[in-house]
Amino acid sequence: MLSAERLAAALVPGAHGQRRAGTGEDFWQYRPATTGDTARSIDWRRSARSDAQFVRDREAQVAQSAAIWISAAAGMDYAGSAERPTKRDRAELLALSLTMALLSGGERVALAGQPPRPGRLQADRIAETLVTRPTLDRDDDAPPVEALRPGQRVILFDDFLGDPQPVLDYLARASGLGVQGVLMQVLDPNEEAFPWRGAVLFRSASGAIGHDTRDAAGLRSAYLARLAERRETLSQAARTAGWHFGTHDTGAAPAQALLWLWSVLEG
Amino acid sequence: MLLLGPLGFLTPWILIGLAALPVLWLILRAMPPTPKLVRFPGTRLLLGLRDPHPVARHTPWWLLLLRVLAIGALILGAAGPVWKPSPEGAGQGPLLIVMDAGWAAAPDWPQRQARVLRALSRAEAEGQPAAMLIADGRAEGALPFQPAGELAGPLRALRPAAWETRYPPDPEAALAAAPSGLSVLWLSDGLDHPDQAKWLAALTARGNVTVVPPEGPRRALELVPGDQPALRLRTTASGADAPDVLAIGVDPQGTPRELARLSPADPVAEDGVTTRLVPITLPSELRNRITRFEVEGNASAGAVVLADDSLRRRKVALIGDDRASEGQRLLSPLHYLRRALAPTTDLIEGGLGDVLLATPDVIVLADQPGLGEAPALRDWVEQGGLLIRFVGPRMAASERLSDEPLLPVRLRAGGRDVGGALAWGEPRGIEPFAPDGPFAGLEVPGDATVRAQLLAEPAPDLASRTIARLTDGTPLVTRASLGQGQLVLFHTTANAEWSNLAISGLFVEMLDRLVRSARVNRPAAPETDQAEQPFWTPELVLDGFGRVTEAEASAPVAAADFARGPAPGAPAGLYRGGERLKALNAGGPIRPANWHGARIERGTETPGLALRGWLIALAAALFALDALGSAWLARGRQRALA
Repeated sequence: MLSAERLAAALVPGAHGQRRAGTGEDFWQYRPATTGDTARSIDWRRSARSDAQFVRDREAQVAQSAAIWISAAAGMDYAGSAERPTKRDRAELLALSLTMALLSGGERVALAGQPPRPGRLQADRIAETLVTRPTLDRDDDAPPVEALRPGQRVILFDDFLGDPQPVLDYLARASGLGVQGVLMQVLDPNEEAFPWRGAVLFRSASGAIGHDTRDAAGLRSAYLARLAERRETLSQAARTAGWHFGTHDTGAAPAQALLWLWSVLEG
Repeated sequence: MLLLGPLGFLTPWILIGLAALPVLWLILRAMPPTPKLVRFPGTRLLLGLRDPHPVARHTPWWLLLLRVLAIGALILGAAGPVWKPSPEGAGQGPLLIVMDAGWAAAPDWPQRQARVLRALSRAEAEGQPAAMLIADGRAEGALPFQPAGELAGPLRALRPAAWETRYPPDPEAALAAAPSGLSVLWLSDGLDHPDQAKWLAALTARGNVTVVPPEGPRRALELVPGDQPALRLRTTASGADAPDVLAIGVDPQGTPRELARLSPADPVAEDGVTTRLVPITLPSELRNRITRFEVEGNASAGAVVLADDSLRRRKVALIGDDRASEGQRLLSPLHYLRRALAPTTDLIEGGLGDVLLATPDVIVLADQPGLGEAPALRDWVEQGGLLIRFVGPRMAASERLSDEPLLPVRLRAGGRDVGGALAWGEPRGIEPFAPDGPFAGLEVPGDATVRAQLLAEPAPDLASRTIARLTDGTPLVTRASLGQGQLVLFHTTANAEWSNLAISGLFVEMLDRLVRSARVNRPAAPETDQAEQPFWTPELVLDGFGRVTEAEASAPVAAADFARGPAPGAPAGLYRGGERLKALNAGGPIRPANWHGARIERGTETPGLALRGWLIALAAALFALDALGSAWLARGRQRALA
């Protein structure tokens, strides 16, 4: 929570207006009244200074909310070495920092499937939920399709090493609802580099899937190729749905990933 | 046996197995390494991948070497290697076995038999005749030499004797039939015996003598007589620690068991023999139950002391008028009785009711008329008690003397004054005791006289009840049995009032004899003639191992032979002579033997140093190291699991 606050403080909470006229509280521009504008909408004080009638537009403030989802799959609890945090810890850290940044920007944030709320307290609520949430003993955890709401922005944290099909379905559904978001793949350096040699019995985190090899070093290139293929699949799907796809290595500093997330959400 | 320099192999063909070691090396090399177990979330990405070129990792060379060494050690060990095997015995020629067969040979008897059997089978294989001298004092005549195989049967049936090892007195006569060039194997019991030096000289002159010393020290246990009996433990061991002596007896439930454990006092070493005194510090109730003492963990008749009458301290109750003041102590009859009995017995004093509760073996009543009417006292006598009564002035003055109960004879009222100031006659002396009575052998001092006595009513059985009389033929001591017990009456006082008997040494000896004849926790046996017998009849007999065997068909032993200690025909045991029970114990003074001019066989010399056990232990240790090394290799897997 503390490191998340520190991270969030690094972000400049800029104005988060929609930069177009709409319903809102802040002044946006004066424009000449056209037909269809009601008499009540005319700003008489501005109009008195000239001949034309002006309408005072306010900046549109769409009721936007962000939904954050972190995979609870057993594989997320993996850390390649004792010095590194687990993927889940890192994902939660990123999620919390992002939550705080968004909240301080006035957005409403929630974990997927929960009602979004604004305010500092919501960060505490989310943190508590994340901490008390149990880890599944399955290898796969799919983002909840039914929790998608129009106008939401969704941030998905996962290693995306499980079955990709639910994610692809989710993206298709999200693009249908006009929901935009980010896929954040959090991986351990071991998963990116595949440093094993010799005879190794690989077991997935839950133990359900296994692969035995006599020469792990020989599998390295094939594994890396498959990993790259998986990323390509995901980023392709994300692009099609208007989403963004990013990767993060738990060996790297979290601020980098957070900045990328922030910029993607800003843009 | 295959000999390779100083190394011999008992079963050399197993060494062929060493040829398989290189094959084993190859097989062990090809063994696949243990895989690591890795938890990896990306396993799904690996599914279906094939190993491009599977490589078998080699077992580390040091592990391989360890395993091959271990198996090599196993094979070598199984082949029975012996370091510097020495050919057994140098003897060529007829075999003469001298087997010490006394009690000292008993503790390691099976090993001795095995050693002799080995020598016999070797002699049989070489076709040499053999003879066996069993030194238990029963060998007679010239030793017959016969095929060695025929001696094995008698040897197996041989048991050590319950007396000291004895050699025939004349070695020349015994060796008359012996061929020259003898090879003598002497199974010594480690102790010196009479005629041993003579035999050794005779045998050394006829051939070479190999002496097999005993395994472990010899121990002998002996009873030291005296007022405070003790045991003497002699051992040839020089070590500081000595085994305990167990006192074994019948517990109140009737089960024989260890009653006490006596620890020896400080050792005194002399001439290679360490002597320790073992005091018997036990309450007399416990001591009276003891049937035998034995040295713990030593199965030998010499380490057993059977308890007899001399060990059992009688409990004697004194009842009398002890109200005399200090100035009159010398007038009190109890004073003389106390002085006479205290050194050898445990004294109880008090009223009749009190002393009966203490279940004494003997009750002494000094001039107590009327007490005999107590039914408890009568019951006690009938159950085996010994009641000794002394007369005195009060009894003489008793009006109901003629029907006083618990007296061996009826007394005539009034008494008799033979040497007093108002009498004509001289004080009477005591007639020498009859040779068949309980006082047989006691010497009568000439100055012991009796001045007054109580006379018995004449009766037909008066003579047979009298066991001591005065010179005029009147009874001094009479005795009768009642139930299982006895009544004894001294017809004079226990103080110096009527007689100076009480201040003579004879008084002490007479009382001692009487008290010793009292029953001590013994089962009731029909009263026999209580004469002192010139023969001792064995009641139970020990074998050489110190175990009790029934004395079946054992002939009585003449008293003269009995006094010389255990011998053939008189094995150690318990012997009964009349009423007395006497133990003949084998243990006595010991002296370590010395062998001049004989080869002494060392235990490790004969078989050489067998390396089998060491090699197998080495193999086990190597396998343990291998297990550790394998575990070390597999530690990565453990870490992955954790």
